[in-house]
Amino acid sequence: MFKKFDDKENISTVQQLKSSVQKGIRTKLVELYPLLEGYIDTILPKKENFRIVKCHEHIEILINSSGEQLFFRQREGQWLPCLKLLHKYPFFLPSEQVDKGAIKFVLSGANIMCPGLTSPGALLTSVDKGTTVAVMAEGKNHALAVGITLLSTDDIIKINKGVGIENCHYLNDGLWQMKPIK
Amino acid sequence: MENSKTTILRNRPQPNVTYPLKVIYCGHCTLPVEYCEYYPEYDRCKLWLQQNLPAEFEKLISISGGIDDENSEEKKRQKRGGKGMIKTKKKEGPKQICVSRATRGKKKSVTVVTGLNSFGIDLKIAAKFFGTKFACGSSVVGDDEIVIQGDVKDDLFEIIPEKWSEIDEDFIEDLGDLKR
Repeated sequence: MFKKFDDKENISTVQQLKSSVQKGIRTKLVELYPLLEGYIDTILPKKENFRIVKCHEHIEILINSSGEQLFFRQREGQWLPCLKLLHKYPFFLPSEQVDKGAIKFVLSGANIMCPGLTSPGALLTSVDKGTTVAVMAEGKNHALAVGITLLSTDDIIKINKGVGIENCHYLNDGLWQMKPIK
Repeated sequence: MENSKTTILRNRPQPNVTYPLKVIYCGHCTLPVEYCEYYPEYDRCKLWLQQNLPAEFEKLISISGGIDDENSEEKKRQKRGGKGMIKTKKKEGPKQICVSRATRGKKKSVTVVTGLNSFGIDLKIAAKFFGTKFACGSSVVGDDEIVIQGDVKDDLFEIIPEKWSEIDEDFIEDLGDLKR
């Protein structure tokens, strides 16, 4: 999604949101990620206004008052956390671990294939299809990508072929390199 | 392969850990330090880490099993092409700031500063800073250009390195008088 993303070219507008809309987004985020409940006030303080950055290809990015990117989504899809946020709160997404050989492909933006998720170096957390997951790597502590599962984990093990997780945001992509927006 | 595979890694806040966590990012490639080895300019990353966070550097080396080991691995690794190659960000040309003076009318002049952008400086903030410093009008013009009203060229040589420590006075070039 952010493979060819440039913060100068692809942003159309930065918008201050109405407080009612902000409230809606906040409750939606807690609904999506229940584990975030105790921390939502530190991520999105109630007193501060957050803003939304509208980009090309119907991408919207949520930024806080100091301009850091927090969540993003495409069209009316679910909100996905940015990796910098996920590194700070790694617990709120189920994590899937890929083996060592897959790391460099994921880092260049490839979708995560099933064999990389079932080999000896990999670990799976059982989730359904269409869940937002953090992609971890063998021997590493931090997430390297955020994705959406295209198959349930049971199917991933059973089919063991093709794309298992869609890579939405990975280290060093356009969103990662985006500077804080004033 | 069935159930042993689907181990739950970590999906709840761990006790004894305060969130938000602090992750160390490499100053060269911006990735978390542990992923530096997948960046094409790993040597530069290592250099940065060694200079800035010697403690972390020691840890990383002890994990990866010494520097010599890395080098031999590199020889085996395919260097050219392949889908798994991560491309480096293209570096912009030589970093330099140019200041020049342009005349306005008969006896007034403006100062033009270009090249601040290549140092990663926010032009809007810089323009505002110049404006307050020299008590004059100052605005961002075009992509990478600031126009300061009045002739302040000589002062800029002192003030720019003072405000942004990463810029040395040698980076600033005087282009003299230019026509606009």
